[in-house]
Amino acid sequence: MTDQRSQAEIVRQSLKRRYRKERRFRLYGILAIFIALASLFILFADIIGKGHTGFVKTTITLDVPLNSDAMYLDDPTDKDQISMADFSAPIIAALQTHFPEAEGGSARRELARMVGSYAPSEVRRLLEKNPELLNTTQTMEFLAHDTVSVYVKHADNPSYSIRLSERQQGWVDELVEKGVIDTSFNDVLFSRGDSREPGNAGILGAIVGSLLTMLVTLAISFPMGIAAAIYLEEFAPQNRITDFIEVNINNLAAVPSIIFGLLGLAVFIGLFGMPRSVPVVGGLVLALMTLPTIIISSRAAIKSVPPSIREAAEGIGASKMQVVLHHVVPLAMPGMLTGSIIGMAQALGETAPLLLIGMVAFIVDVPDGFFSSATVLPVQIYLWASSSEQGFVELASAGIMVLLAFMISMNALAIWLRKRLERRW
Amino acid sequence: MPTKKDDVYGDHISHKFNDELMELKTEFLKMGGMVEAQVDRAIQALVDNDGHLADEVRAGDKKVDQMEMDIDEEATLIIARRQPTARDLRLVISVIKMVADLERVGDEAKKIAKFAIKLNEEGQAPRGYVEVRHIGNHVLSMLHDALDAFARLDSQQALRIMKEDKRVDEEYQAATRTLLTFMMEDTRNISRCMSVMWVLRALERVGDHACNIAENVIFMVKGEDVRHTPVEEAEKVVGR
Amino acid sequence: MNMNESISRAADNSDETVMSAQEPEAETRREDIKVEEGKTVGVPYADDPKFKLRNVEVFYGEDRAIKDISLDIARNEVISFIGPSGCGKSTFLRCLNRMNDSIDICRVKGQLMLDDEDIYHSKKDVVELRARVGMVFQKPNPFPKSIYDNVAYGPRIHGLANRKSDLDEIVENSLRKAGLWDEVKDRLDATATGMSGGQQQRLCIARAIAVSPEVILMDEPCSALDPIATAKVEELISEMSETYTIVIVTHSMQQAARVSHRTAYFHLGHLVEVNETTKVFTSPEHELTESYITGRFG
Repeated sequence: MTDQRSQAEIVRQSLKRRYRKERRFRLYGILAIFIALASLFILFADIIGKGHTGFVKTTITLDVPLNSDAMYLDDPTDKDQISMADFSAPIIAALQTHFPEAEGGSARRELARMVGSYAPSEVRRLLEKNPELLNTTQTMEFLAHDTVSVYVKHADNPSYSIRLSERQQGWVDELVEKGVIDTSFNDVLFSRGDSREPGNAGILGAIVGSLLTMLVTLAISFPMGIAAAIYLEEFAPQNRITDFIEVNINNLAAVPSIIFGLLGLAVFIGLFGMPRSVPVVGGLVLALMTLPTIIISSRAAIKSVPPSIREAAEGIGASKMQVVLHHVVPLAMPGMLTGSIIGMAQALGETAPLLLIGMVAFIVDVPDGFFSSATVLPVQIYLWASSSEQGFVELASAGIMVLLAFMISMNALAIWLRKRLERRW
Repeated sequence: MPTKKDDVYGDHISHKFNDELMELKTEFLKMGGMVEAQVDRAIQALVDNDGHLADEVRAGDKKVDQMEMDIDEEATLIIARRQPTARDLRLVISVIKMVADLERVGDEAKKIAKFAIKLNEEGQAPRGYVEVRHIGNHVLSMLHDALDAFARLDSQQALRIMKEDKRVDEEYQAATRTLLTFMMEDTRNISRCMSVMWVLRALERVGDHACNIAENVIFMVKGEDVRHTPVEEAEKVVGR
Repeated sequence: MNMNESISRAADNSDETVMSAQEPEAETRREDIKVEEGKTVGVPYADDPKFKLRNVEVFYGEDRAIKDISLDIARNEVISFIGPSGCGKSTFLRCLNRMNDSIDICRVKGQLMLDDEDIYHSKKDVVELRARVGMVFQKPNPFPKSIYDNVAYGPRIHGLANRKSDLDEIVENSLRKAGLWDEVKDRLDATATGMSGGQQQRLCIARAIAVSPEVILMDEPCSALDPIATAKVEELISEMSETYTIVIVTHSMQQAARVSHRTAYFHLGHLVEVNETTKVFTSPEHELTESYITGRFG
């Protein structure tokens, strides 16, 4: 009896210890998750905090008097005259209607720097299109100058330095009050390519570039990866050669992506003479990089198809090919798709190999084909983030948000596809 | 009386099953011993004119009946619980059948005891008891040997018992003829001799039952049913 | 008395002699009972067999899993393979429709004839063989498709039905034969994986008979089923035995006793005994068979 009692005592004591251990272990887990969540939260808060203003543009709406005298322009259809004409004069004049006291050279210069540097060319384009508007007054909306934009958006943010003079600040305040200077959704961001001027810079070029590149990557790596996985898993004999291939595929997955960039540079551009900084080459390089991921995940998906299904089909008399095509591949498809999409998402966020094949160039035009120069989202973000202009900081963050949105929607697509296609057996 | 040969039923994975089979066997042998004693005592009561002993035998039959029911239940439980096969199945089935035989033997002993009381009450000079004693001893030894054959799984011995049965039948015929002569000698003997005839008939039945038991033992050991087959056939089975 | 002698007598299967050969102290241990290779007691051969198997040996690499087995499987008989785990009964069963082919290290030797055709002949098409010799597996393994598609799959890939109506007919007949039609006729489009285990297994049987095979191999078809579902499958087997030759591997000796005409007992790759099922379960000839079916080892 005493023995039993003491044994119970021992058990109880060790139980206490066990429970303590268990609690501690659970605490570590919760802590780890908390840290991860906190980091994520900080990251998002930082990016959104910095980037949300990137989605806002500052505009100045002015009644522009298109006087031929002020512009030294009699006939807008005359090419020579147009090229000589002064299109900033009517803008200054329009601003002067708000601030009649601003006279003189320095005031005029300061007034001119209220609107973006592309404002005069907008006036010019308007007149080129509609010569009959000469000597009328037109209400036009201009992008504000970056310094104005920074002042309007970040007047109370100490991390931005205000580069407006006292007088300009006064004008801006007044114009904001009057509603002449206004902020609205930044449609420029999604409708234009890159620019030297933050207010005029858009991300569309990069988005289209990324899409084209991804299309090439998908078209090459998905069928190739799945075909390779099926062959290796189902048909390849088990011997040294296949073992060797298997080991190397696994190794390739671990090769730094910049190596693939070097390979692309040497082979596609150097050997095959393909043009630099085009989506086709970028897609090819990224496809090479994604292939191992797709092969590995597809093989795992094929392996996870229960052997009983294979046996069932074989038992009825299905040939190897029929077993694979009718049963194994459909059942492995969700896994293959998930792996591929995750691989694609990885490729979407890849910068290093693309830097090497020249997709880092400053490209203003939205690419219109697989062979036109383009850049991609992460490279665009890299370019903006390393730019000195203050306005690019928020744009870079906005770009990151766009990129993240793409990633999240791709992952969501992966999850949706898996849920949709997954069958229980 | 478990012997070394009991391990034939003894090495199942389930020890409980071993115990159950062993229990069945032991109970059956116990009942066999009891029935044997019943017959022995009934003959004793008849021959010695012992009315008291005869009463005891009649009372003892209740116990035999009870045992029959107990063993049957045990056997039923084993079938239900264990689904015995092959050797085990044959053991259980044989025991169920042999228990019925033993019970009948018990009934015969009771019948003999009844006639012993009757003859005792009539109180006349014994006639034909020599035959009773002779046949009685013979069937008793057959019964004993049958049970022994069962205990030792001895099919050879069982075969011998089957052959014995013929001799019992002959002895029975001879005894009947003797009694018939008695009856013809003196008609007053008829009622008495008829009673003795019944006793002889009962003993002959005991021999038949012993023979049945022997046949079941052969089935148990050899897995071959030798009932309703000529002895030569049974010999071949046992010789295999 | 020395051990060898008692062993040889064990092979003679005379209980009497084995027993008297046993000494109380040194009883024959089951592990010591050796089986003479290629020697099967009972009635392994049949007239006009469906399967004629002679000197079959199966190797897994260097490992000899099946050791010189000769057996006939008669037409329209139900034969069950029993034996302790790892005795080779499943391996042997899988030789009959070459399911072992997919295992690289597995080699089969000997003569395996189905209706006088060598099924391991290099020119023999395994697809055709499997259309003739169907298989039902241990775990119900319906395809994750509709009930209809499950049954229709075999006929489709073999091109047995040209029109939809033909296919419908095959599906209905197969489901009827499998005793499943009344239960599923209103939900043929439902996925098969939603059915109960017993229904799934009967669906697998329906799927196997949809290609009208001549032989159906069953590898422990009821081991994953509850008793009621088992009873239904067994009932089905009895009904099917009129039209098909059925070979069934089972761990349940009672099942073998219930459904099969003949029973074959395997032990460590040997075929020890083949006999009428009634004979095996009342008085088996071989010591090992007896020990196994009476629950003395296994």
